[in-house]
Amino acid sequence: MTMSERRARSKGGQAFWWQVISGVLLVVLATIHMVANHFVVPGGLRTYADVVSYIGTPAIFVLETLFLVVVTSHALLGVRAIILDLSPSDRAARRLDRFLVLLGLAAIVYATTLMIRVGW
Amino acid sequence: MTAVQESGQARIGRERRPRRVDRWFDPRGLAPGQLAFVLHRITGLGLVFYLFLHLGVLSLLARGPEAWDRFIAVAKTSPVLALDVVLIFGLLFHGLNGLRLTLVSLNLGVRKQAALFWGATVLAAAGTAVAGWMIFRMGG
Repeated sequence: MTMSERRARSKGGQAFWWQVISGVLLVVLATIHMVANHFVVPGGLRTYADVVSYIGTPAIFVLETLFLVVVTSHALLGVRAIILDLSPSDRAARRLDRFLVLLGLAAIVYATTLMIRVGW
Repeated sequence: MTAVQESGQARIGRERRPRRVDRWFDPRGLAPGQLAFVLHRITGLGLVFYLFLHLGVLSLLARGPEAWDRFIAVAKTSPVLALDVVLIFGLLFHGLNGLRLTLVSLNLGVRKQAALFWGATVLAAAGTAVAGWMIFRMGG
């Protein structure tokens, strides 16, 4: 096995285990998110004033940010696994990794900024 | 395909030949492990689409109360609530089947993986029925 193959396999193993850990975390975090935002709210959806008050609570802000990071990384690692199953070239796989990292960071920065802008 | 092979393939998928994605939509002759694999990926892709759609919709919050509350009025219409029920099934199935995959990856319940798959499917369907009833009762 070449060095680059070994590195790719180790990277794939790390991605697999983060996918497992983030998936288990998501069972908890997504349940909290769905219950807090939909099932205990009168009418099932928060009005603008409700959202501002909800996001403005520091503990909720931390929890929702954690949820955002975990769900985004889990989702994009899942997309990566599906695309890698189509056996792209090494070059295409490296480009895919870079694209997904940038997309994930952009989504996290965008949504965190939005929460700060709306709730603080 | 066994569940162990299934999880092993997810780990070192790049060493295999390309999988024909169109076969995901042909359930004929699929073993429970294969069906679980296909449904897990289809629900996963649906949830990724929903995640980015949801993040896009949240940008309405930056436009102020009128824009957000107008969206809320649309979100409470029956067609959108029906899509919410589909979303709940996707979330429940993907989450429960994901837990099954985690157990199998840790060499737990490998021989019962087919029963675990059907259990996850039944639980997801039951959870969806309850959530659907709550969604239409609260939002309709």
